[in-house]
Amino acid sequence: MDFRLTEDQTVLVEGVRDWLTGVHGPDTLRALDETPSRRSAEIAQGLVEMGLPGLLASESAGGLGLTTVEAVLIAIEAGKAGLAEPMIDSAFVALPILAAAGKTDLVAAIASGEAKVALQHPINPWIADLEGATHLLSAEGGQLSIGTAPSSTALDSVDPLRRLFAPVAASGEAIDASADALLDRAALFAAAQALGAADAMLAQAVEYANTRQQFGQPIGAFQAIKHHCATIAVAIEFARPVVLRAAYAVEHGEPNAAIHISHAKLAACDAAYAAGETAIQVHGAMGYTYEVNLHFWMKRAWALAGGWGDRAFHLDRVESAITGSMPIGPAATFA
Amino acid sequence: MDLAYTPEQQAFRAEVRAWMEANAPKEPLVTLEREEGYNQHVAWERTLASGNWGMVTWPEAYGGRGLDLIQWLIFEEEYFRAGGPNRANQNGIFLLGPTIMEFGTDEQKARFLTPMAKGEIIWAQAWSEPGAGSDMAAITSKAERDGDYYVLTGQKTWSSRAAFADWGFGLFRTEAGSKRHKGLSFLLFDLNSPGITRRPIRQLHGDTGFAELFFDEVRVPVANRLAGEGDGWGIAMATAGFERGLMLRSPARFQATAQKLVDLFKEKGANAPPSAREAVSAAWMGAQAYAYNTYSVASKIIAGGHIGAEASLNKIFWSELDRSMHRAAMQILGAAAELRVLADDSINAWLEGYIFSLSGPIYAGSNEIQRNIIAERLLGLPR
Repeated sequence: MDFRLTEDQTVLVEGVRDWLTGVHGPDTLRALDETPSRRSAEIAQGLVEMGLPGLLASESAGGLGLTTVEAVLIAIEAGKAGLAEPMIDSAFVALPILAAAGKTDLVAAIASGEAKVALQHPINPWIADLEGATHLLSAEGGQLSIGTAPSSTALDSVDPLRRLFAPVAASGEAIDASADALLDRAALFAAAQALGAADAMLAQAVEYANTRQQFGQPIGAFQAIKHHCATIAVAIEFARPVVLRAAYAVEHGEPNAAIHISHAKLAACDAAYAAGETAIQVHGAMGYTYEVNLHFWMKRAWALAGGWGDRAFHLDRVESAITGSMPIGPAATFA
Repeated sequence: MDLAYTPEQQAFRAEVRAWMEANAPKEPLVTLEREEGYNQHVAWERTLASGNWGMVTWPEAYGGRGLDLIQWLIFEEEYFRAGGPNRANQNGIFLLGPTIMEFGTDEQKARFLTPMAKGEIIWAQAWSEPGAGSDMAAITSKAERDGDYYVLTGQKTWSSRAAFADWGFGLFRTEAGSKRHKGLSFLLFDLNSPGITRRPIRQLHGDTGFAELFFDEVRVPVANRLAGEGDGWGIAMATAGFERGLMLRSPARFQATAQKLVDLFKEKGANAPPSAREAVSAAWMGAQAYAYNTYSVASKIIAGGHIGAEASLNKIFWSELDRSMHRAAMQILGAAAELRVLADDSINAWLEGYIFSLSGPIYAGSNEIQRNIIAERLLGLPR
């Protein structure tokens, strides 16, 4: 029993964080916002050069052979950076499902960056990043199928960097995997990104509170501002281990992994919503402008919270489990 | 990350479970805030000590078992799983004990820790004064040196357990004219010393768990001072860290409450409002999150890390969780919630628990003070 990250995990995360800080800061978000495709080939290439699309692929498939825990740690960093490139859907959600279904060639192609898989599930009224994807992993009637990505009508997202498309009729080859497997993995990674977004928004609120002067002092010296920020810090502190615990449950095929994912999604998305509202409030009228960077993360948080099972969906799953047969109580911490 | 228990940890869990099943009180004890209940709880402390379970993390030389914090968490889980009572000596074992372990002399450790682990001496804390609550550095109670003694004069208040306990600890101004954090010393004193008057304070629930303490030239040996004269503030802050941080409120306590709330909801929740329904799920989630976080902190401490201002995050989380869990129970009970059905603990425990949960965001440093600490020391906002 040891809840710490390993040295290797820490090094990996710091490397990715440093890279994202360098190439994917607010200026990049603003530049992408001015780009019709909202995507950057250089950023996609940079992720490939770090080997991240192959993080979960076996070494024989040209991957790094790492686990869902490392993938979730990277997704947290992606959420902090507001990463727009759809690598997480393709490489962290679809790839392990395809690998388990024996789609070896496609796995290798995802790992090398040649293939990108978009995800469709009836729980969402959209498909993210269908344009630019080579394949579509689609859930219908409880089962999954994989096929080449068709085209579809573009939809507008409140998030200026998300590219959404209308659902399509699934037309691929059925694979031996359940629709729930897709939903659960996608929900886990939405939670991880939301946690990162919450962290980024709190950091922006704190930075603004340290610089903005009113009444002759930084507004962060006022308790009202301090207490707002501290409340978000508590929410983030207690969402993070839930997200990690869910990642561990998925990696180890625990029987209640889906419940831990629902818990993670609720905790992280509630923290992210609250962080957005608090950060806006701390910024005052500036927070209500397009000029302040905050809105990129806030809108992403809304998207992550609604997709892959909304609050009602995940609360229902938790309630059914704890009032049903799942062991709960003091001696069931890791049940 | 390795979230599996080792075979040794599993064997330890089985050992605690067997002992608790054989020895834990079969019926709930009377509240610790009443003399009858206090005496029952002290008797339980001694039963625990007879199994050598007084404080498992302490060295064997001081009545412990020399176990690590993961084992302590396992112990607590099994303790609360078996419905173990609140610890009468929590001010001692969870707050003063770790402080003596860190700052005490060998003589003080031998003298105070073993009787503490054995439940022979029950401790009260004495921090607050009428003019020094959240602003604890405003303490005015003084201790004047007279040879090998200090002479204590002044008043303490909200002194938990002091209505019935044996000994107390707190901060006193040992340097005349000193201001704020300077000139304070950390003293341990026998509550039955001549010159101490205890005035029990009737609390929200009507019982008298805490008390005011009046000191009228109370003579306390210099040997009862922890660390150096004038070093009291730093030591008190360390104690407060233990209090807010890891030990005072183990996750198992809240997991047990969450489990009871789920049971209550299953039994009586058919007409609960949607907010209470959500609060039931939030209770399980919150208690689990607190447990994961505590395992995470324990893992870091075992590896040589320490807990500092992060303790304030914990304190806010568990105290607000406890209050919301009990409020949900009150809402599920509806009109029955107001009834003081002392004979039916399944109802009365929620009312008593809700009342007690209202003190959580206040004691051990109010949550407003904790939010200041988080903002200033963890987030880097200006003081």
